[in-house]
Amino acid sequence: MKKILITLALLAITAVTAQAGPEEDRMAFIKYYKAKFPSVPMEEYANGVYAIDPIGRENWEAIEEFPPYEPFIDAGQAMWEKPFANGKGYKDCFPDGPAMADKYPSWDKQQGMVVTLPLALNQCLEANGEKPLKYKKGPINNILAYVAFQSRGKVINVEVPKDDPRAMAAYEDGKKFYFTRRGQLNFSCASCHLQNAGLRVRTEILSPTVGHVTGWPVYRSKWGTVGTLHRRFSGCNNNIRAKALKAQGEEYRNLEYFLTAMSNGLELNGPSARK
Amino acid sequence: MKIKTVLAMLVLAFGLLAGSAAVLAGGMKADAAMAADAIAKAEAARKQAASVNGEWRDTGKFIKQAQDAAKAGEYDKAVKLAKKAEAEGRLGYEQQVSQSELKIPSYLKY
Repeated sequence: MKKILITLALLAITAVTAQAGPEEDRMAFIKYYKAKFPSVPMEEYANGVYAIDPIGRENWEAIEEFPPYEPFIDAGQAMWEKPFANGKGYKDCFPDGPAMADKYPSWDKQQGMVVTLPLALNQCLEANGEKPLKYKKGPINNILAYVAFQSRGKVINVEVPKDDPRAMAAYEDGKKFYFTRRGQLNFSCASCHLQNAGLRVRTEILSPTVGHVTGWPVYRSKWGTVGTLHRRFSGCNNNIRAKALKAQGEEYRNLEYFLTAMSNGLELNGPSARK
Repeated sequence: MKIKTVLAMLVLAFGLLAGSAAVLAGGMKADAAMAADAIAKAEAARKQAASVNGEWRDTGKFIKQAQDAAKAGEYDKAVKLAKKAEAEGRLGYEQQVSQSELKIPSYLKY
């Protein structure tokens, strides 16, 4: 009898953790990282891997003295201000101004899906008869860099609305993606960025998940340009020898939803520079 | 005694069968039909893996290489590549299906 009761209790605990809400998940992540990196203050996580890599940080700080992403911000500002062919512009779609990166990703009840910033920008273009931008490389990074720069200092606060069960389903979907092993190497996002955060893959230190989304778009030295978060998702999937999924497809958008919720409370500091 | 003899004969017969099959398979050269069949199987396995978002990075590449090899008349190479791709497709599918339920790893404490 006692054994049965213990088993039942254990099962109940497992069920609770599997269905934990965004805030419970975030607290569990923070508890885990605090135990792993006790000397790192919470706000430092917004700096990604440089919160836990002192040598990499020195290089990064040197790079940030003459930020390589600056020309992209200027190009983005020009895009923001230039009217479309119909005379309207981004300003008309986003009356709250360019400092709006903290409003994304968000659950759009009408469309029944997670809307990310790049998607919202493209929907604005399409609504005004313009051609949408590509999601990984090219000019989308200019406009994203401008919006990110204007949004610096805003605090991430992703909400999963309780009045629409589809929103929680999207969040859960993103969480499942995060914990699902894929590719020939059989790694999940969690394998590297949770379980082994702080350890090295070849010469690179694995960054913690909390803070993954704060600095986009990112000027990566490897790319030699600024790229989007979903471009990085593709790269990550390729590294573990899984076929990358579509940028701004449902899977990656839901993953972004989950990841951003894990960074709730951190300040946005994009665009940023990484190796 | 009798049973033992029958058993021994059976074992011998199976052994011979297996042996000759192996010899046949080893000596057999792949032809265009075999290559086409292997490629079709590989493509089916790749699609099945993709249906659950479980496709691996290089599966499609191997199928493409197999198709190129078949076109060039290198059927052995084509079959070998297609078999590799088929195995990847199957493994990718199984990998995703085996994780159809979300399991939070034990190191993450709530």
